[in-house]
Amino acid sequence: MVWITTIYLAYLFAPMLLLLIGSFGSIWFGTLIPGGFTTHWYIDVVNDPSFRRAFWVSLQVAGATCLLNALVGLPFAYAIYGAASRGVRAAARVLYLLPIAVPPLVLAFGFILAFSTDVLPFLGSLWILIGGHVVLTLPYMLQTLVGDMRHLRLAELETAAESLGGSLISRLMDIVVPSLRHSLAAGMIVVAALSIGEFQLSNLVAGFLTRPYPVVLLQAFYGATGFACAATVILLVLALGASLTGALTATAAQAARGIPA
Amino acid sequence: MTTPVIEMEGVTFTYPGGNAGVRDIDLTIAAGELLAVIGPSGCGKSTLLRLIAGFLEPDAGTIRIGGRDMSGVPARERNLGIVFQNYALFPHMTALDNAAYPLKVRSIASAERRERAREVLQAVGLAGFIDRLPSGLSGGQQQRVALARALVFRPRALLLDEPLSALDAALRIEMRDEIRRIQREFQIATLHITHDQQEALSMADRVAVMRQGRIVQIAPPRELYERPATSEVAAFVGQANLWTGTVADPTSVDTPLGRLSTDPHDLPRGVSVTVMVRPERVELGASTDGSNTFSGKLKRDRFLGSMRRFDLAVEGGVITGETDELDPVDVIHIPTKYVHLLPASPAV
Repeated sequence: MVWITTIYLAYLFAPMLLLLIGSFGSIWFGTLIPGGFTTHWYIDVVNDPSFRRAFWVSLQVAGATCLLNALVGLPFAYAIYGAASRGVRAAARVLYLLPIAVPPLVLAFGFILAFSTDVLPFLGSLWILIGGHVVLTLPYMLQTLVGDMRHLRLAELETAAESLGGSLISRLMDIVVPSLRHSLAAGMIVVAALSIGEFQLSNLVAGFLTRPYPVVLLQAFYGATGFACAATVILLVLALGASLTGALTATAAQAARGIPA
Repeated sequence: MTTPVIEMEGVTFTYPGGNAGVRDIDLTIAAGELLAVIGPSGCGKSTLLRLIAGFLEPDAGTIRIGGRDMSGVPARERNLGIVFQNYALFPHMTALDNAAYPLKVRSIASAERRERAREVLQAVGLAGFIDRLPSGLSGGQQQRVALARALVFRPRALLLDEPLSALDAALRIEMRDEIRRIQREFQIATLHITHDQQEALSMADRVAVMRQGRIVQIAPPRELYERPATSEVAAFVGQANLWTGTVADPTSVDTPLGRLSTDPHDLPRGVSVTVMVRPERVELGASTDGSNTFSGKLKRDRFLGSMRRFDLAVEGGVITGETDELDPVDVIHIPTKYVHLLPASPAV
């Protein structure tokens, strides 16, 4: 068991460690680790206009994807949870998990076919990219929300609120949304992390000016290794930041509900 | 006579797919009265509550609350306080906010609703816990918050849906008295759904027994226990010896155990009846005149703390009795006044 854990951790952390070392090395050619120490690769990444633009595009796409996930996901999850028929719930579950099962490449080819026509000439626009990210990440948001609704027995809470005189709007604003705030936050963080790191679909549907960070990052590997390492470490920090925030949100939610972590 | 707060007349409801609901329900609950509804699982008692609450609409019959027909009136407009089995407290709200929620949806000003919520939490004994989230309260305390929340808006009636079933035995007994005290203090008509007959008998002014979607009997607890309308009620409420019998004459009945003397009755000779004797009415030793005396062999003897329950195998059957005496049991007798004759039932 110890061996398996060690091998797993080595596979997990060794690439990250090498990237970190590489990003501070002056020269890295034909040796196990680079020689010298420098921070200029980071300065180069920051000063590169295409990376700066890609970073900003990634933040915009991730932000919009989170927002749309919340706006679409909450009522969608609510409808799935509240569906009277077990068959409808099962069908909805299969449907909303489909984007996880279907490779992003398939989705991207579909987008290319649909949005490169004269009728819908939107391929390469920021909104197509955001739409693609919403489709890919919505299952994770729905899974989180529907699970929390079941855990909280939201239907019972709503019934209680209704019996106490709560209207639909009051129940939604006073009970449903506040009860789900932790899972909504956790879901959005997962969505942000996935969106920031998404490459397959983005690479095919993004335009030259709407390329997100991972797509531009690929270009970096055709140049200096140190530059590529520094650019990747920045993406890694963003993703780790999102994961850490997600974990802290989940812990805070458990604490607020009196569940031991 | 005071106008009933809740009235049900000929109410029938069947779940989609023809699943059992309730049939021909007639009942009333007066102001300040606590009516308990008991019955086995699936007998329709929770359906009854959901119909009154407005979560279900009857297929036939009328439900009136405060004299007003509730047909088509949604749950939120019925002005009923409901305490649910799992309390359904809002997990993100403190005890005070939970209790104040019904006032908030009625657009009561913030200061007033906090004051009223504080008062009702004090009335249920939770003055020191108003800032706690439900997760920081014990089961009993959560129960009290649910009760406070159901009472704070001065509802026309209180509906309790098995409110004690999630508590441990000791707390359940404590909360029975507490709910009764609060219910009397607020003088509110209350429907209490429970599967615990002891809970119903100890708390209610009247008890309704349900079976297969129908109300079999509604009576004050003592009457229900001493004079059950049918053998089904007798078997469900408390322990009972039940035997088939045939009326022999105005003061005796023939049973598989032999002829039993009864108090004078007016049932015609030859009529089939069910004979009921409560175990605690069985006395050790022979009667002074030798009537209703049986000797036999002790089959089972169970120690129940304050008393023991025994089964005495006699000729023709088994008699279950209860006693707090430690003497050997071989001869017992049944005083004539405790031999009750009920309508015959094929179930016995």
